[in-house]
Amino acid sequence: MAEPLLSVQGVSAGYGDVQVLWDVNLSVEAGRIVCLVGSNGAGKSTLLRTISGLIKPTRGQIRFAGRDLAGASPDEILRAGIAHVPEGRRLFKGLTVRDNLLLGAYLRNDAHADIVRDLDAVFALFPILKERQNQDATTLSGGEQQMCAIGRGMMARPQLLMIDELSLGLAPRMVERIAEALTEINRTGVTILLVEQDVLTAFELADYAYVVETGRISMEGNTSTLADDPRVRQAYLGL
Amino acid sequence: MQTTLQIAANGLMLGALYACIAVGFSLVWGVLNVINMLHGSFIVLGGYMAFFAWRDLGVHPLVSLAVIAGLLFLLGWGLQYGIINRVVMQPVLTTLTLTFGLDMIVYNFMTLAFTATPRRIVLDLGNIEFLGVVMPVDRIVAMVLALALTGLLFAVLRSSKLGRAIVAVRMDRDAAALMGIRVDRIYAITFGIGALMAGACGSLLAVVYPVTSSMTGLFLGKAFVVCVIGGLGSVPGALIGGLSLGFIESAAGHWLGPQDAMTIGFVLMILLLMTKPTGLLGKQGYE
Repeated sequence: MAEPLLSVQGVSAGYGDVQVLWDVNLSVEAGRIVCLVGSNGAGKSTLLRTISGLIKPTRGQIRFAGRDLAGASPDEILRAGIAHVPEGRRLFKGLTVRDNLLLGAYLRNDAHADIVRDLDAVFALFPILKERQNQDATTLSGGEQQMCAIGRGMMARPQLLMIDELSLGLAPRMVERIAEALTEINRTGVTILLVEQDVLTAFELADYAYVVETGRISMEGNTSTLADDPRVRQAYLGL
Repeated sequence: MQTTLQIAANGLMLGALYACIAVGFSLVWGVLNVINMLHGSFIVLGGYMAFFAWRDLGVHPLVSLAVIAGLLFLLGWGLQYGIINRVVMQPVLTTLTLTFGLDMIVYNFMTLAFTATPRRIVLDLGNIEFLGVVMPVDRIVAMVLALALTGLLFAVLRSSKLGRAIVAVRMDRDAAALMGIRVDRIYAITFGIGALMAGACGSLLAVVYPVTSSMTGLFLGKAFVVCVIGGLGSVPGALIGGLSLGFIESAAGHWLGPQDAMTIGFVLMILLLMTKPTGLLGKQGYE
């Protein structure tokens, strides 16, 4: 079997003296949509922050596309091909939608025309962003901000797009709309790792899932299998 | 009428220089959350460099300005990258104490090396009279250049890749890091730009006023007042604050005498702090 695109092995991490992740193992195969589900404070965001280099793991290995990335800086990790759309969107206030999107391409050294072409691709995916491109990004609605944040992530031309809390605070119709866009992004060959509290949405979108509980992976499997698991049904689907 | 025009002209000249003095200080404070106590010394250092280049080497201050700006950028960049970056995440009092200490070193070095004798570049470009208002040409040149430099900084921040990165770091450090922006480098560049603006402004000041090492605190105080009046961290804020202070001091200098003009500036700062602490253009809750 080929090596997965991303593999996290025995990773522990935390903030100062507080350890959040305990010996986490996870792998994401190229071309798939994988989700991390679990309750608030389980460590899902911390795991993404560790993968993207905002937090250094205290133990363990993170391999991506054949390279060891544990302890690398965020810019090295982005350059290697992992883009992270953070929880709460975190768009830059005081900058326009367009400038926010361009910041996603900050590390790219290719021709301006290529960057503009990718900008147009983002606008094609989310037409509302084109309409609002000269408006301060933080004046967008929640859903539009999420689109902008995803677009900003895509502007880095990542192989792996990690999205934290995709649906948090968004209207169901908006979630559907963004989920469709993600499927489209995935079809162009971008692998997606999704953190989601709403397990129904996550399972609809992803084909493989990890369940995170108190900083450990407690279950994993194909979403179709997990959806029938009585523990998952009781704890996360409320069935 | 003529008096009013003269006051306005003097105010504009003074205000342009104040805006230029404050804009680098404001940028560093806004982006790095560092109150740079060295700022006044950077200005005086720029003034001295322009003076000695002019007196000893015969270099025209408009020529040396670019070199001085470049050297001050390197000095600021180096100080931030090598020293201040080590504590930049600490509470603001820590960085304030650090830059205060560095300021003592630079200030005393300057006094030792250059003595406290006031130095001024005398260009003797004559006067221009317009509508009965008399303006020395060297002051007009200094004013225009100060405004041009401030405008240039605005343009760079507004529409360059570097400018976008600086604003991004200012607004959200972690999110900026996720864009691949090296925050420590942006800090060093920003601090370098602050020093560059101070140095350039110092060499302009040396054309208009005598400069001496004992004026570092005065310039730092002006930068504070302008930031408080205009609001922190934006070029238009520094411009509005600088021009306001310039006009106020010019008017107060005429009606009350120059010794009270500065008092008025500080009284205004205190009043603004009590009523509108974000400044005229400042917004609340940046983070």
